Amino acid sequence: MKKTHIPKLDDFLGGGVPKGSSLLFSAVPGVECEAFGYQILNGFMEDGNKGFIFTNVAEPSNITYEFSRYGWDLETRIKQGEAFFIDGASSFIGMPPDGKYIINNHEDVYEMVKKAIKDVEDGVGIINNLSTLIDYNDPDEIIPLIKGWNEEASKRGTVLVYLFTEWDYKPDLIESIRECFDCVVSLNSIEERVIIGQGFMVTSASWTKPQTHMVLFFIMQPGGVKIYIPKILVTGPYNAGKSSFVKAISQKSVSVDRMALEKFPTTIAMDIGHLDHGGFVADIFGTPGQERFDLMLDILAKEAVGAFILIDSSAPQTFARAKEMINKTHSEAIPNIIVANKQDLEGALSPEQIRQKMNLNDKIPILPTVVTAKTDVKQALDTLLKHLYG
Amino acid sequence: MIKTTKSGIPGFDELTSTDEFPGGIPLSRTTLIYGPPKTGKTIFANQFTYDGLENKLPCLYITADQGIKQLTMSMMEFNWFLQSYIESGDIYIIDGISQLGGVKLDDSVNYKTTTIGNPAELMIKVGIGSRYVYRKCPDFRSVLDSTTTMFAFNPEQMVLRVLNAYIRRNNEAGGAGLMTYTEGSTTDKTEQQLLSLFDNLIRMDGDTITIKSEYNQSENPDNFKSVYSIGEKGIVVDH
Ligand SMILES: Nc1nc2c(ncn2[C@@H]2O[C@H](COP(=O)(O)OP(=O)(O)OP(=O)(O)O)[C@@H](O)[C@H]2O)c(=O)[nH]1
Ligand SMILES: [Mg+2]
Repeated sequence: MKKTHIPKLDDFLGGGVPKGSSLLFSAVPGVECEAFGYQILNGFMEDGNKGFIFTNVAEPSNITYEFSRYGWDLETRIKQGEAFFIDGASSFIGMPPDGKYIINNHEDVYEMVKKAIKDVEDGVGIINNLSTLIDYNDPDEIIPLIKGWNEEASKRGTVLVYLFTEWDYKPDLIESIRECFDCVVSLNSIEERVIIGQGFMVTSASWTKPQTHMVLFFIMQPGGVKIYIPKILVTGPYNAGKSSFVKAISQKSVSVDRMALEKFPTTIAMDIGHLDHGGFVADIFGTPGQERFDLMLDILAKEAVGAFILIDSSAPQTFARAKEMINKTHSEAIPNIIVANKQDLEGALSPEQIRQKMNLNDKIPILPTVVTAKTDVKQALDTLLKHLYG
Repeated sequence: MIKTTKSGIPGFDELTSTDEFPGGIPLSRTTLIYGPPKTGKTIFANQFTYDGLENKLPCLYITADQGIKQLTMSMMEFNWFLQSYIESGDIYIIDGISQLGGVKLDDSVNYKTTTIGNPAELMIKVGIGSRYVYRKCPDFRSVLDSTTTMFAFNPEQMVLRVLNAYIRRNNEAGGAGLMTYTEGSTTDKTEQQLLSLFDNLIRMDGDTITIKSEYNQSENPDNFKSVYSIGEKGIVVDH
């Protein structure tokens, strides 16, 4: 087994990738993908293997510079003969080519990459980018081309990593591309009008039954691919049941409460919980409900990928405040759902009545719950996760 | 009713306004300005950008024809000074050209370099940039000048895919998108496909400006047509 050196990925794949296997990193447009390929190459070289990059998107000097921004020294590796380029970019944009192999004609790509695969036996080759290859080739030729390279790689023990952006290709083309690979990793976005988070997920692996939940990541320069645990916000007006909700969905939780008027607890700093729900892990942050704690909401909202807005369905006088908080999460582009809590109380309004009263559009889900009895709490959780991960 | 934002071009909003349409450039939509070379497409785009900045509307600006230096210089000819908006962060610039000349400029929070031959990377920066300007103001503006250069450096089909993804991203975020294209710079088929991606088209031929929109129509085809001129304050449309 060879290590990819992408955090978590090796674990998901049962320890790493077998020699000679082919990997597809398939990204939704707008999600960072190159760093995965570069990090794998760098890791392979650190483990004493050779590698190459085929590029048809940027000139080699540009990629070498990009490597240095990650804190990886590709230049020295190239000088020492541990790595090389197949330059399929420069001659097409009028720059002086630079690499062990130089492509002046698109027809030469197939043979040159094949040679390179042989040159780095037991090492790794990075194909950046498969999408551009598709549009330079006949659609009928692309599948045989991938298969030819993958066969050669398997014969030589070379791991081949393809970077692919899923533009609006025909779905059956994407499907047949995916079928050519031993392993497919999907790179997706979490969006609410704009991209607010990125995640990767193993969709298939021929040598093992992979773990398939999504892990959120960001790209650091220097550093490369870093994974992180997302924050989920629980907010809403005073006394809506936020602290109770955080407790209900968390495996562990603590609240920083104080007895208000020495009668009932109110949250003064925040509730913190940790959620582990069917492989999805998140840190849960409950905000204080009182207005003087708005600053806290500002800080927490910056890092959140999703939010629950809790409201006491029997207290319409608090709805204006709830609406303010909804607008706040909208302006920060955080996906959110509304939890219409305390449905057991007399005078509790139904989700539809609440939608009308608060003048909310149909797109925002409103889930009825009784948090104290844990009624429908799981539905609320599933609804938000589905909203986030599609 | 479709929400719009001011174009910043004297006469243009009046020309395009109808009972159903307030006039100007639509939000949550992307508009294509096209026409022969040197007819003022870039000036239109820059005038729109600068008007937004002066009115506290942030702008995501992708410059593909000229590097950041040239861009700021050419805007200065009209007394449009970008520098303070670059410093304040009201404009987010994605520079697809400077790197090509071998210049290694450092990125900052609101200035990113990329190479025009790497559309996947461009889309990543568009994603980050959209989030940045959206958070400043949901009625942001988004300008790409020009698609022609992208066609010169990439397979035409690829550029259409990228523009399609870009349009979707902009419309979803709610910004007022504007792109330019020089007529005749791709095959007829690609040009047709390109035009069909947009539901709001502005054609500038050097004398007349013509607006063709799917949601703002008139029985009289001449209603959205007028002459324009380019002076020291930019474009002025007769109406
Ligand atoms: N009847 C009923 N009571 C509930 C429900 N959910 C929470 N409560 C009660 O409402 C009160 C407030 O709950 P908390 O969870 O402390 O509310 P909070 O939103 O964290 O309050 P602050 O932090 O002070 O803003 C507690 O007495 C809870 O037991 C519910 O679904 N039904
Ligand atoms: Mg509380």
